[in-house]
Amino acid sequence: MSQDKKGTIGPESLLEAWMKSAADFWGSMARMWTGASGISETSTTSKEGDKSRVQESMESALKMWQTLSSTMGEPGAMDSLFQGTSALPKILMKMAQTGWDGYFHLQQQWLERIGRIGQRTEAYKFESLDQDAFKAWMEIYEKEFKQFLNIPQLGLTRFYQERIGRFTDKFNLFQGAMAEFMYLVYLPMEKSFKVMQEKVEELTKEERLPENPQDYYRMWLKILEGHYMTLFKSPEYSQIQSKTLNVMEDFMIARQEFLQDALQSLPIPTNKDMDELYKDLHHLKKKVRELSKKVDKE
Amino acid sequence: MAQPKIPVDLILEKLAEDAEKAQERAKKAPDVLLGPLNTDMATTPSEIVYEEDRVKVRHYLPVTETKFKTPLFVVYALINRETMLDLQQGRSVVQNFLKEGIDLYMNDWGYPTRKDKFLTIDDHVNGYMDNAIDFIRRRHNIAKINLMGICIGGTFSVIYAALHPEKIKNLITTVTPFDFDTDTGLLHIWMKEIDVDKMMDAFGNMPGDLMNFGFLLLNPARLVIDKYVGFTENIDKKDFVENFIRMEKWIFDSPDVPGETFRQMIKDWYQKNLLIQNKMVVGGKRVDVKKITMPLLNIFGEFDHLVPPAAASPLADAVGSKDTETLCIPTGHIGIYVSSKSQKAFSPKIVRWLKERDE
Repeated sequence: MSQDKKGTIGPESLLEAWMKSAADFWGSMARMWTGASGISETSTTSKEGDKSRVQESMESALKMWQTLSSTMGEPGAMDSLFQGTSALPKILMKMAQTGWDGYFHLQQQWLERIGRIGQRTEAYKFESLDQDAFKAWMEIYEKEFKQFLNIPQLGLTRFYQERIGRFTDKFNLFQGAMAEFMYLVYLPMEKSFKVMQEKVEELTKEERLPENPQDYYRMWLKILEGHYMTLFKSPEYSQIQSKTLNVMEDFMIARQEFLQDALQSLPIPTNKDMDELYKDLHHLKKKVRELSKKVDKE
Repeated sequence: MAQPKIPVDLILEKLAEDAEKAQERAKKAPDVLLGPLNTDMATTPSEIVYEEDRVKVRHYLPVTETKFKTPLFVVYALINRETMLDLQQGRSVVQNFLKEGIDLYMNDWGYPTRKDKFLTIDDHVNGYMDNAIDFIRRRHNIAKINLMGICIGGTFSVIYAALHPEKIKNLITTVTPFDFDTDTGLLHIWMKEIDVDKMMDAFGNMPGDLMNFGFLLLNPARLVIDKYVGFTENIDKKDFVENFIRMEKWIFDSPDVPGETFRQMIKDWYQKNLLIQNKMVVGGKRVDVKKITMPLLNIFGEFDHLVPPAAASPLADAVGSKDTETLCIPTGHIGIYVSSKSQKAFSPKIVRWLKERDE
């Protein structure tokens, strides 16, 4: 075993020693195998000495491992291997860094939101609609992750792979848009609780608190109804609703394409097949009706 | 500083009372829910006299002597089902008409499937409606019939009357959208933004479930929360439960709308508002509402959130007829047919109006 000046053993020398012993191991395995099968390495093919295909492939596999081990045992081999594999950690580091950056960006959004707790809320108004967190996530997804799903595919099955990538991409976009929409629809609920709380405080100060719990329920319901009306009439809501529908429809179309590929191998007609039939049927029926009306008139 | 007086003891006392009442109701509820409940709808006897594809025309069996020379054909909307006009005893427009001696026909659009996705407004109006009306005219050996449209069925009736005025004696439109360029209804605001082409590519037909979800969103506080709170507060009352379940059955019984029809409805009506401008084209012909020269009765609900007054009221002024009447009833979109108050205003008014024009 080689040692450096200070007497410690380096990783390269350990690896070299391990490779050398691996080469010896595989070599002895190969000799044992040929000994056990009763066939020497130099024997020519004869009627009694015919090698079976299994024996031949075992022999070549063992010889390959022996060669590989011997090669890796040479001093320069490990250096070049390490140089080649050092690129992989760089890629992994980049992906991890992207993930961390995204996480910190989101955390910033959350902290800003938390900071707003305790501030006075104005009834029937939605300040900035709290959409920044969703926008941040979608930005991260679109800039950093979406590109991996849109890498051009190669080979015979490239179209199928592209459709799978598109399906996955549209699914992710749909999840994001749906989360944003559901959150938006939940906002008036959250707001109504805050406004209700302030109203109760006001009534308490004026000593006009109702005694009937039903009155509190009706008060809260009216506040909630008003908030929903305000939200639903806003152009921002119409745009988000429209965007959510569009993204959902894109996902459905991508899913249909993906499922069609899967169904092709089964004896099941797809929507696309049936739609073509239905269209023909519709035109034929219309034509028949027009013609029979003409005949009836005559 | 004096502490504000909070009647905590009274509030708690009330809460305890309410909890006791809720417990009483919960004890009786299983008897009601697990017992026999009459939730049938559309029980007025009728026979199917005409069928074409998924579309049927029902003729209601007379309960008294027919007092009108001209039969009435009611065209319902493509959204939800016509069973609402015959909801239950005491809340049935169909029964009210029959009692007054009207010879009544009503269409049933059925349940569209994917096969129907290519049907357009032309197929519905110049196809199914025209064929049904021709059938009724031949059956009675008359040149014209009375036509009444409900909601989108009313819009179809307006288009039909403009394209075939020679076949319609009197036209009645109820909660019928005509001017779609208004911001007083949420549907009108939302429909302007949707990409209906992409929607139809994805869905084929417009799913009834998606439309139901949209209708619930119009007022989630009342339709998703308060409605069911009210149900739990009356869960021990058999009549209330029966009526409630009947309405639930109707409201969520939503057929899909054929794709091409929905596409044209959104583009030509909600987004371009072509009908009121006399620019809408159906079956290659421009729909000119000035050609509606027969008497028109237009009824709408003051508190209708689906077809607000601004969308329904302009019809009478837009048509060519000199005999027009507009009636606004203080109720909502469905209430106009099913509320007990409207029963006294709605059906009797239509009967009187038709009687005056039944020569």
